[in-house]
Amino acid sequence: MDNHNKQSASGKAAADSKKRKEAPLNQNQQGKESRPPARPQKRVKFQDARNIRSQPSDAALDDGKLDLQKFLSAREFEIKALETSMRKCKSANATRVFQQVPREMRRRTASHNAKRVPKRLRDRAKREMMEDNTPTVEARKRRPRTTRARIRAENAKRLEKLAARKRKRALQNEAGGENRDEPGKTTIQTRAPRPKIRRDTLNEPPKPKSKFKKRQINKTWLPTHLWHAKRATMTESTKPLWRFAIPLTPTQKCYRPTHRASGQKGTVFWDTSYMSTVRLYGAAGGIEQVLKALGLVQESLWGNRGRKWRSGTRTWSGMVSRQQRNSRRDIGPATILWNPTPTVETAAPESNTTELKKTQRQILIRTHPSCFLELFDELVKLAKLHTPQVHVEDLRFEIGSIELTGPGSTETLLAVLQPYYTEERHGQVFSSLVGVTNPASLPKDAVLGFSIKDPRLSYPPKRVDTASKVSDSALLDTLTQWPVEEQVKPYGLFDRDVRFKASSLPPQKSINRRKGASTPGQEMQVTAADPPIPVIAFTSRPAAGGQAQGTWTLLAPWKCILPIWYSIVHYPLSTGGNPRLGGLNEQRQIAFEQGTPWFPGDFLGTNAGVVWEMEQRAQRKKAWDRRPRGKRIEWASLDLGAGRKGEIGDGLACDFEHLLGLPTDHLPNSCEDQSTSDVDPNAMDLHPGEEAEAAAKLGKVHKNTVPSLTTVEQMKKTEFQALISSVNSGRPPPRSIISVNITFVTRGVANACARIYRLPSQPSATTAVPSSETEVPATDPVAAGMGSLPADLRDQWLQKIPGNKSGSRSTKVTTAHAAPHMSRDVGQGTRKQLMAKSLLSGDPLPYPRPTANQTDIGGGHPLCPGEEDLIGFVTAGAYSLSEGKGTAVGAISAEKAFDTVKESGPKEGRLCIVRNAGENVGWLARWELV
Amino acid sequence: MVRLKDRYLLVNIVYADIPPGQKGTVPDLLLYNQPTLGELRPQTILKGIRSQVNALFGDCGSGSVERSLQVKYLSTATSTFILRISRAHYRLVWAALTFMDRLPVKDGRPCIFRVVRVSGTIRKVEEEAIRRAKLLVLAAKDEMAGKASSDALNALFRGGKDSARNLALVTDDHDDAEMGEGEVSDG
Repeated sequence: MDNHNKQSASGKAAADSKKRKEAPLNQNQQGKESRPPARPQKRVKFQDARNIRSQPSDAALDDGKLDLQKFLSAREFEIKALETSMRKCKSANATRVFQQVPREMRRRTASHNAKRVPKRLRDRAKREMMEDNTPTVEARKRRPRTTRARIRAENAKRLEKLAARKRKRALQNEAGGENRDEPGKTTIQTRAPRPKIRRDTLNEPPKPKSKFKKRQINKTWLPTHLWHAKRATMTESTKPLWRFAIPLTPTQKCYRPTHRASGQKGTVFWDTSYMSTVRLYGAAGGIEQVLKALGLVQESLWGNRGRKWRSGTRTWSGMVSRQQRNSRRDIGPATILWNPTPTVETAAPESNTTELKKTQRQILIRTHPSCFLELFDELVKLAKLHTPQVHVEDLRFEIGSIELTGPGSTETLLAVLQPYYTEERHGQVFSSLVGVTNPASLPKDAVLGFSIKDPRLSYPPKRVDTASKVSDSALLDTLTQWPVEEQVKPYGLFDRDVRFKASSLPPQKSINRRKGASTPGQEMQVTAADPPIPVIAFTSRPAAGGQAQGTWTLLAPWKCILPIWYSIVHYPLSTGGNPRLGGLNEQRQIAFEQGTPWFPGDFLGTNAGVVWEMEQRAQRKKAWDRRPRGKRIEWASLDLGAGRKGEIGDGLACDFEHLLGLPTDHLPNSCEDQSTSDVDPNAMDLHPGEEAEAAAKLGKVHKNTVPSLTTVEQMKKTEFQALISSVNSGRPPPRSIISVNITFVTRGVANACARIYRLPSQPSATTAVPSSETEVPATDPVAAGMGSLPADLRDQWLQKIPGNKSGSRSTKVTTAHAAPHMSRDVGQGTRKQLMAKSLLSGDPLPYPRPTANQTDIGGGHPLCPGEEDLIGFVTAGAYSLSEGKGTAVGAISAEKAFDTVKESGPKEGRLCIVRNAGENVGWLARWELV
Repeated sequence: MVRLKDRYLLVNIVYADIPPGQKGTVPDLLLYNQPTLGELRPQTILKGIRSQVNALFGDCGSGSVERSLQVKYLSTATSTFILRISRAHYRLVWAALTFMDRLPVKDGRPCIFRVVRVSGTIRKVEEEAIRRAKLLVLAAKDEMAGKASSDALNALFRGGKDSARNLALVTDDHDDAEMGEGEVSDG
């Protein structure tokens, strides 16, 4: 009957309009009971369910007389009727199955496709669709509407024919092959080609399958791309980020869940395979020289304290920089890890330093793709300077990575990563970490490098049983002593052959076959076909310190990321739920909540940061242009109070050009530093020849123009602090900025591009008069119309600090003119007298009344300081769920910050006023260096 | 989402006189909870309420009540009915019911329309009706056993513990939301 229904429905649909039809009546149904059409039938069902049965009055009477027994039975009938009504109503629920599915399991158009609801609900969904006469469309049978779709459909049909022919031929061949003799079988076995990695040049992206080749022309997919593309918003296909298709944010709403999973319960994880890895190898002395040239000059790294780092059991993370003409410029954050030498080598006598310097060592440098090219070029340049030469290897598509954060991250990794060799020291240490709920509780920058089994062998991952946990004290011992130095071996991940072997994992098909052959519930055994997968896991602590969650970073061969990924996704956390997916936005959100700047968005002092800022500006401009004229902020007509009109600088930008007096970027600047010419985002890793081509293809016009923002320097926290505490009158360079973390004192939430002001300076004693007296005299309104700011503006702002009673001179300013409030029993005569007195006394009301926003904003809120007090901009701001109030990350001019702190002390000097772009209300906040 | 917000009123019809065919004395229980005789149909109830609302509140009142007023359940055997009315206007209907003193049929008997429960869902009203019916059954059983004054009947008419809440309801007249979920014990 189903079929019949559908056919006649579709026939009718073709004839009539597009509105949904009543299900047709089927008169000629052979051998099946006929039933009423679906929708009226459903209505009848609902009406029936809602109807409450009742008795006529005779039922309660015995021959027209009142009777107790009948009374009783009437009540009993009523109770029964009402109860059945309630029951029926509940079962005749108006909701449909697809509405009952939990939110994360909802799918688009599940109302029209029963296959999009979970299996157990599928039958009900089908029935409901039939009852409702839901029109269904099979994508396969839909008539193509556009030309493109038609061509595709024709192509598909042709391909189908081709495939059928091919299949047939294969069958024939097989049939023929059986007849042939066995000796004809070839015995030569070839190995899969090992990918080439040339030294000192860039690595080629992996060759995609021909099916996916066209979609990866100007970008590379992450190993988990197909998984992500279904579950996350990716970068636009024509506008990849750093030449990768990167998941920006999960499709599901997840702001608050991410906050929870990253701090309280659960875990958030990312595929960060887009992060670039570089291997540097050569004589230890040469590597040391290269690293020192990258700005790793701290004594702690090369002295005794850095021994652990140099032996390969700790990582170093920080900013690397390069030498410009006479200053150093930050490239970006990098993590550097040494490959341990075999224990025999380390046992060599320490005295022989020259010997030690000549030993061959290797390091991994992991950095962000936005600054990769800059770093790589610098490395190649530096490496060539040394004899014996140090070589650079680009391992970008060789090593992938996954990051996890949150209390459940260690647990998840423990379940997924099972050491391949039981005797490996690092594997043992890792397995003993059961019960760790914060990766930051491990020693700082701890590294564990070992080999794991193929995670598919133990898929689906099982919950880590806490019974296997050693005692708390033993765990504490492990964490404090961290016994990883004994018998440390070189990490497999550095070895190209090991990586290659791991990359040729057996196919999923053979795993399935083996699983089918083994007894159900039995763990699958590792065979010779399963290569060990070399991994390196290291932790990092947030810069903010405190109780914040640390992060695990797992490095593994590029091709092994996907099996590990699947296992992580499906790990059942002991606190319930699964790990949560994160995208780029979530990464920024977590960094923001921890109060740390995020690379590249919050690092305007690096080329990558400048590129990011330029792109953001273009995006904001585009969004602003798209809005109708009446609904967008008209920057020129913004009233900042006290006669000031117009936004300071560009309202859609963190306009440091304006603040630091740099030339604006509308015209190409040819006189810029040549070394900064490589900041074009799309030129990331193209060869010079291709560069121009690609630029032409993408229609990039600003090829040769270098934003003047690239001359801005980032100043380090330590440098700035040293300057502040020193007595000498050293000053920060004029075009330098420092990153700050801003917390609002009371109210307020900042957005990106918000303006940061310092407190206005106190005017000199002669002019310091309360604002009420500097107000416009009644006789001369025009002269004061373009009035200056109130003289006591600083006091007004300081008063906004809760609990601050100083500077209360101006509290009465606004209330002075209000009529005094009198109690009711004051006589008429007294009232008159008082009124006359108030009229005659001084303090006349100004005439004409001052215009709005003249002395304050909205009655009582102090005005924003003037442009001379602008010190910086917010790069990221929002309401912070972890702080419970507005916070922001931004950058301020080092020079102005220095002056302010020197002038008004460390406490008051760190107060600032933050005003969103396009608004005239500022809020008091406090900045801290980060 | 826009949602139509309704109130459901559970109304009892209470009689105080002995029905025409009856002779001799009847127990109070039976007297007050008589079945409703005659041709009382949902339409007649609606008509009666509308005319009463019109008399009390004029065209405006009757107009606002007109659309949403509906009888969801009418049992003449137990003299109980459930009304549905939009949340904004249920007090007009309640007031009209209070002022109606006889059945809205021809030569209607004098009676009281007693609103015993106002709720936002019909389910709660039904639950209340069941509760009251159960109490009446208990009272009737007591009556049959020969007990003079039954606790069940007292509970039903006095309202017992709910009386304080009822008082609060009356004073808190301006608050719609509070009032909606109340139980009214004496008519």
